[in-house]
Amino acid sequence: MPEGNEFEPKIVAFLCNWCSYAGADLAGISRMHYPPSIRVIRVPCSGRVDPFFILQALQQGADGVLVSGCHPGDCHYLTGNYVARRRFAVLNDLLEFCGIEPGRVTFAWVSASEGERFAQLVKEVTEKVKGLGPNQKLKKELP
Amino acid sequence: MSRSEKLRQRAKELLASKEVAMVIGYCAGSKPGLSQPAFITRPEEAQRLIFDSTCSQNLANYLLKVKNSGKVAVVAKGCDSRSIVVLLQENQIQRENLYILGVGCDGVVQNGAKSVSCLACQYPNPVIYDEMIGDEVEKPAPDPIVAKNDKEFEQLSSAERWQVLSEDISRCIRCYACRQVCPNCYCPVCFVDASMPQLVGRTHNLSDNMAFHIIRALHMAGRCVECGACHRACPMGIDLMRLNRRVARIVRERFDSVAGVDINKPPALTQFNPADPQEFIK
Ligand code: SF4
Ligand code: SF4
Repeated sequence: MPEGNEFEPKIVAFLCNWCSYAGADLAGISRMHYPPSIRVIRVPCSGRVDPFFILQALQQGADGVLVSGCHPGDCHYLTGNYVARRRFAVLNDLLEFCGIEPGRVTFAWVSASEGERFAQLVKEVTEKVKGLGPNQKLKKELP
Repeated sequence: MSRSEKLRQRAKELLASKEVAMVIGYCAGSKPGLSQPAFITRPEEAQRLIFDSTCSQNLANYLLKVKNSGKVAVVAKGCDSRSIVVLLQENQIQRENLYILGVGCDGVVQNGAKSVSCLACQYPNPVIYDEMIGDEVEKPAPDPIVAKNDKEFEQLSSAERWQVLSEDISRCIRCYACRQVCPNCYCPVCFVDASMPQLVGRTHNLSDNMAFHIIRALHMAGRCVECGACHRACPMGIDLMRLNRRVARIVRERFDSVAGVDINKPPALTQFNPADPQEFIK
């Protein structure tokens, strides 16, 4: 059992309705174990994930963010994830440039059949964010 | 005939023949060594026009404000012309309502020194024009100091980069002058003003400031022409070009695209290629 004072990261996960959310669901109904660190927000498509959502999650106290959508070619809207991929690429490079630790925000493709992959991903992301420690850079300290 | 004389003459002719309803250019400012935008509608006023290194404003910014005034002539340096290309690509203005008077530019000055954006400029000549006033100028060699500073910054550790940027950006007073002067910021409701829901906090604490600056840079990705107008407008002297240069480089290296140079190639972030690199995605 973890000690009571061990850092348990809070991770906001933006999951696309058609693939990753279904993947998470499959992990659930298959009773796979993964850390209870994620708070899922279901979005219609990874293309709906405005980079601002990611920053706002960090501002409001998330320690990490996971963004996941369908594999390229599998998008329910055909090209939503391709367009999102460009946006995420710029955001990812820009966050790194600004000095946000790599791994604070993770992008992944997970399909509806990849329940196991989803559980594994959450484990990895949780470990990574644990290693980074609490998010302090973008967090907004409310007065 | 000097370039300014030629400019005045052409402006006069265009207005007298009613080919255009207005010429947007520069005239002398309120103090010696300063210039300001001029909106000339009568041929006899054309003699107020000037063009020199003090003419730093990006005039493309005004095209959106006069887009219902009929056909307009505009004086355009390299960066202004690239902003015009972005506005045309995004269907904000009509090419047939525009007459572009191209001018080569040797860099503009701010407080007596060459503007930092001009030190890295690779497009001193207009990329699109109806006629050139004067000759094209030679493309300058990029300033080694800018490249060196950028390299040094990128070699800092993640924590150090955050430190340096934080110190700079925490000084932002959220006056939005950078947004106001940007020729390619034109959303009727800017994300910073949105209130239903409120997207970004209006305070100037570091968290809100960083969120503002990161999103601003992202919104300009593939669209920022590195004219430096925002940088020169900032009353706090925040190094906005550092972010702008970085974003332009990301777009150039990842998507092989430079903002506003090719009218037939839409802005990079409105496009995709199934083969786009995705090494950062798990
Ligand atoms: S962001 Fe700044 S440098 Fe880029 S186009 Fe706008 S004003 Fe010019
Ligand atoms: S002009 Fe400078 S101080 Fe004003 S909002 Fe932009 S960066 Fe901040």
